[in-house]
Amino acid sequence: MHIGHYISGGAHAGLIFWALFGGMFQPDPIPLEVSNVSVISSEEFDAITAAYQAPAVETDAPDLTQDAQVDPAPDLTSQPDEQVASLVPPSRPEQQVEVTQPAPVEPLETPQVEPETPVQPEPPQEVAPDLPVTAAKPAPRPADRVAPEAVAPPPEDATIADDVQDSVTLSDAGQVTDAPEQEATAPEAATTEIITEAKDPPSGAPKTSLRPRPRPAEPAPAEPKPEDTPKVNSSSVNSALAEALTDDTPKGPSGPPMTRGEKDGFRVAVQQCWVVDVGSEAANVTVTIAMELDKNGVVDAGSLKLIASEGGSDSGINTAFSAARRAILRCQKDGYKLPIDKYDQWREIEITFNPEDMRTR
Amino acid sequence: MFRFLILTLFWMTASIGHAAPLRIEIKNGVIEPLPFAAPQFVAENSAANDLAVDLVNVISQDLVGTGLFRQIPQSAFISTVTSFSSPVEYADWKAINAQALLTGAVSAEGDTVTVKFRVYDVFANQELGTGLKFAGSREGWRRIAHKVADVVYSRITGESGYFDSRVVFVAESGSKGQRRKRLAIMDYDGANVKYLTGSDNIVLAPRFSPTGDRVLYTSYETGFPRIYVMDVGSAERRVLQNAEGTMSFAPRFSPDGNTIVYSLEQGGNTDIHLMDLASGQSRRLTSDASIETAPSFSPDGSQIVFESDRSGSQQLYIMPASGGGAKRISFGEGRYGTPVWSPRGDMIAFTKQSKGRFHIGVMRTDGSEERLLTASFLDEGPTWSPNGRVIMFTRETQGATGAANLYSVDISGRNLKPVPTASGGSDPAWSPLGK
Repeated sequence: MHIGHYISGGAHAGLIFWALFGGMFQPDPIPLEVSNVSVISSEEFDAITAAYQAPAVETDAPDLTQDAQVDPAPDLTSQPDEQVASLVPPSRPEQQVEVTQPAPVEPLETPQVEPETPVQPEPPQEVAPDLPVTAAKPAPRPADRVAPEAVAPPPEDATIADDVQDSVTLSDAGQVTDAPEQEATAPEAATTEIITEAKDPPSGAPKTSLRPRPRPAEPAPAEPKPEDTPKVNSSSVNSALAEALTDDTPKGPSGPPMTRGEKDGFRVAVQQCWVVDVGSEAANVTVTIAMELDKNGVVDAGSLKLIASEGGSDSGINTAFSAARRAILRCQKDGYKLPIDKYDQWREIEITFNPEDMRTR
Repeated sequence: MFRFLILTLFWMTASIGHAAPLRIEIKNGVIEPLPFAAPQFVAENSAANDLAVDLVNVISQDLVGTGLFRQIPQSAFISTVTSFSSPVEYADWKAINAQALLTGAVSAEGDTVTVKFRVYDVFANQELGTGLKFAGSREGWRRIAHKVADVVYSRITGESGYFDSRVVFVAESGSKGQRRKRLAIMDYDGANVKYLTGSDNIVLAPRFSPTGDRVLYTSYETGFPRIYVMDVGSAERRVLQNAEGTMSFAPRFSPDGNTIVYSLEQGGNTDIHLMDLASGQSRRLTSDASIETAPSFSPDGSQIVFESDRSGSQQLYIMPASGGGAKRISFGEGRYGTPVWSPRGDMIAFTKQSKGRFHIGVMRTDGSEERLLTASFLDEGPTWSPNGRVIMFTRETQGATGAANLYSVDISGRNLKPVPTASGGSDPAWSPLGK
């Protein structure tokens, strides 16, 4: 009975030993392409290649001026024959030949030598037509407010508000309704960029015509960097195992994930209150703020904290954080409009405020 | 390999157990004035009733004048502040969208005025910093107001203000052909103008010392341009460079105030020189056959930016403060001149002439990120505010009735506006803060 166990255990141990150290998990060697070659002498090689060599091409053209018969033909169309002799300078008697109707000179045959890589000829520069100076895109309207989207000036009698609504008053007929009078409101006028005095109106005429761009090269497959491979040791394995086994936090957010539209809606709600002073040092600082919200979308002001920053001095970071915090708190009003069924997805939010694009406006 | 697979498996298992926060990145904000509320200060005695109104008016004008703030009219207020120590009703100020709130109280006893104030971040439900108190003479109430505005500006923007500062400039009067020029000094907002010289001689290019107690300027008193230094308090002056057959002009103090750089024309050639004020000894910093002028120190005193036509056109160059090794930094179209180093040290303001127009512009100290802020028939002579945020310059209008006036513009290119002066003005130079 025990003998059978011993035999079975030994066989299994041997099998495991072979699997681990016998090369079972070793990758197969990279296959090599093998081709047969034969050794030949240099004389044999020259003899073989001689048959394929191009004929020698004379690169130095003969001095045609030494041969009167191949002298360039006179311009027969523009100069009468009688005047040709007088055009020849007297200091060069060897070229004073009798002017007769010469036979047409056959052009010399010159071998065509193909360059190794064909060079695309430079395309002729296309000149744009002289268009009337009109703006292809209407110039931004000057306004005190610079926002991602331009907003036309509101009516003079409208109150500045986020929403647009028409005024409602009693009709001329004096109909009395229960609805209260409603003032007209409209968002504040805004432009999309800072318009300095020095900026000229855009010209409608393009300077040069644009050529289609060449097809972009296929991106090279990313090679894994050696440092990306985590170093493994038994202690880290054990600690990870222990952490996974002892973790008693609630498992994962419930419900479907936030859609792109829902995220964008939240982003727009915050960014419309994010005031950036583009001339300040804080405009060079990127801050990331963490916060917690209740189920009504109201931010817990005490949870707002700076978790990361990039660029600027401490003063600049503090100012950038204050502006970001102000934006979050000011635009929430009665709470951000977020899907209640996905509360676990947005209970904790981290927002990065990056003013890089604002500086270029 | 096997152990790595095991570790990865357990990492994935463990990470599922943590709800990752929703991560959002915002790149597009808005650029608009920040709305603030400044209720009338509480007058703690009857002698301070007028001041309670006037102080808030000047403080508000300072803040609104930057283009960065918008004052909410008092008619929109829900809360009233009747006591400096009463708690702030944040909800009332949020309701009118006030992002910052300034409250204060003023008392006057004899010639002494005492002002105390607090600044609040309304939406954060907290005070910005701690309350402050300033005391001064009744005559100097405007300066107290400027100081309060500087603190408010600093608490909200994180940068120092520039309201408690002065400007020395050339006051101009008379028609274009018979213009009279004299040195004048005023508050940054055009108030409290005082004249330092008469209008008998042409004066040019005044420049404040780093301590604000002296002014360098160029005068044609002898028929040739000569550099003078004047004590602002006593108006006493002395000539600094008086060599025969030379012309000296375009002076500017070093950051420590002990030396000056200036241009000296001698034998038809203009070069930059450095003078020790205590000994009067000068040293030549450039020796090219071209015209080198308009030198300006970097804030740390290690470098000098100047204009030169050594390349064939007027361009900007930077060299060490000891001279030699100049490096060109301007390469755009047109001619560049009158460079001035920013107090922050990161930018250089200049005058540019291109395509028949003059511009005031700024660029990085390596010549990158050039931005033109203005354009007109004639804009020239920029000077920086003490915090490096605003540029003041001269704008002259075209034609026989054309006149020179002072203008200011934010370095973002916004908030271009004239500086109020009694008559015309040119060649402004901003003082350091609090001088």
